[in-house]
Amino acid sequence: MKEDMFLISEIERYLEGEMTVQEKAAFDELRRTNPQINRQVEEHQLLIQELDHLGKRKDLQAQMDRIHQQLDMPAIRTTVQEATQASKRARIRRRTIANLAAAACIALVTSISTIAIIQNSSRNKSTAQYEDVRRVLNNIQRSQNALINDIKDKNKAPLNPGTYGGTGFAVSGNGYIVTNLHVVAGADSIYVQNTKGDAYKAVSVFEDISSDLAVLKIADSTFKSQPLPYALKPQSITLGEEVFTMGYPRDEIVYGKGYISAKTGFNGDTTAYQVSIPVNPGNSGGPLLDAKGDIVGIITGKQTTSDGIAFAVKSAHLKRLLDEMPKDKQSKKEWAHKSKLEGMNRVDQIKKVEEFVYLVKVYN
Amino acid sequence: MKQIQDIAKDRDLLLGLAKSDGKSLEIIYSDNFPVVLRMILQHNGTEDDAKDVFQEAIIILYEKACKGDFTLTSRLKTFLYSVCRHLWLKKLQSNHGLYALPTELEEIIPAEDIVDDHEAKDEQFRIMEKAMDSLGQPCKTILEDYYLHKHSMQEIADKFGYTSSENAKNQKYKCLMRLKKMFFDKYNTSL
Repeated sequence: MKEDMFLISEIERYLEGEMTVQEKAAFDELRRTNPQINRQVEEHQLLIQELDHLGKRKDLQAQMDRIHQQLDMPAIRTTVQEATQASKRARIRRRTIANLAAAACIALVTSISTIAIIQNSSRNKSTAQYEDVRRVLNNIQRSQNALINDIKDKNKAPLNPGTYGGTGFAVSGNGYIVTNLHVVAGADSIYVQNTKGDAYKAVSVFEDISSDLAVLKIADSTFKSQPLPYALKPQSITLGEEVFTMGYPRDEIVYGKGYISAKTGFNGDTTAYQVSIPVNPGNSGGPLLDAKGDIVGIITGKQTTSDGIAFAVKSAHLKRLLDEMPKDKQSKKEWAHKSKLEGMNRVDQIKKVEEFVYLVKVYN
Repeated sequence: MKQIQDIAKDRDLLLGLAKSDGKSLEIIYSDNFPVVLRMILQHNGTEDDAKDVFQEAIIILYEKACKGDFTLTSRLKTFLYSVCRHLWLKKLQSNHGLYALPTELEEIIPAEDIVDDHEAKDEQFRIMEKAMDSLGQPCKTILEDYYLHKHSMQEIADKFGYTSSENAKNQKYKCLMRLKKMFFDKYNTSL
């Protein structure tokens, strides 16, 4: 104990530099030779250092407490509160901005997706239109059926009420008449009537579903053959060419004028033309003539979705049909002549043609 | 430019702090406390919390300043704010589990290293503080008077009624030995 005390006092004297030069040298020597003493010295050093540290810390703490006490806390509190509110406001503003940004993003996304959807649906619409068009095709079929004018209340008609009408025109002087197949399809009996009011019984002798054409033969002894004023023009005609037609959308023959508006028919049907011409139920099977009075097509139907768009089977198909007909039923010579209507004005052409355009009445 | 001037000013303050200049401490304290108070109050703290946290940050700053190898790279305000923020975050996390402080408008610097560093070093200090506290009277006061307040042995002898300074000195050595034992017992086990 005594020695420890002595050692501590010696260490202290050594560290505080109170030793004389000789004593210090001796102590240094002791430290070097005796590691235990050396450790004691180091520990003492650390202890004093920590103690000093503690003291300084306590001082600092005391000083800070004093300063803290001197602080004008109420004033600080108010400023802090103001700052808090300001920052809260700033945060709210930031939040508002964030919300606005989010809303803007949503709006952007919405509008973009709306645009995308609209574009998509408009693209779809074109296919829908296409489908529609196909549906319209059905409609057309229906409307084509509808084009077969309902003439059941016609007084001349036989008693059978299920009567439809269309138009047909002569393709030979000896009583062959072309009309649309859909006009005569499913017919029990067919009558044709010309502008003079003469009605003849007719029978369907040849039908072609693909071109929707039918050839009727007047089977009536009272029928007198006449030479045809017009010719058949099997070549395709040019776009925009002026054409006219005659038909029976009503009991009276009706003249209609238009032009070729497309070289294909409904839904790209290459067997037909699209014709911009006013047609109505009953025009089906009517002849389509060009300005020279050549037959260029046969009116078959119209597009229900838009006005003034009619379709006509190309005359080439009529020619093919006539060619395919059994020889005994048809003399081709009829078509060999040139149109007698060329160079005539329209009124004269109509006068000539109307005699060969028949109202086709169908009973079923 | 202003920032550089500010940092230069802050460095002067820091030098003053290292020299235990009361004026510097007072300036640092009163300049920065309100910001920290506001931050703590915003995050479920009280004024006392703010005081504790802020004073701890000052201690960190003080010890760094004393060591001399600390160069201030940001403004003092930023440094203190960041340290306080981190201290408070640690405290909140120890109390409430996971807790994230929302980002602030104030500029902050990463303070994790500073705080962790300090905590490791503070261990020694706490051991010493505990040892001193458990030393009991009159040893504690004698040691404090001699080593901290630098009183002479004669003054201490007079104060405590020792017949001579030599007696007081012996008493002091005894106390010192006890302190040393207590300190190193803890110190060696903790290391």
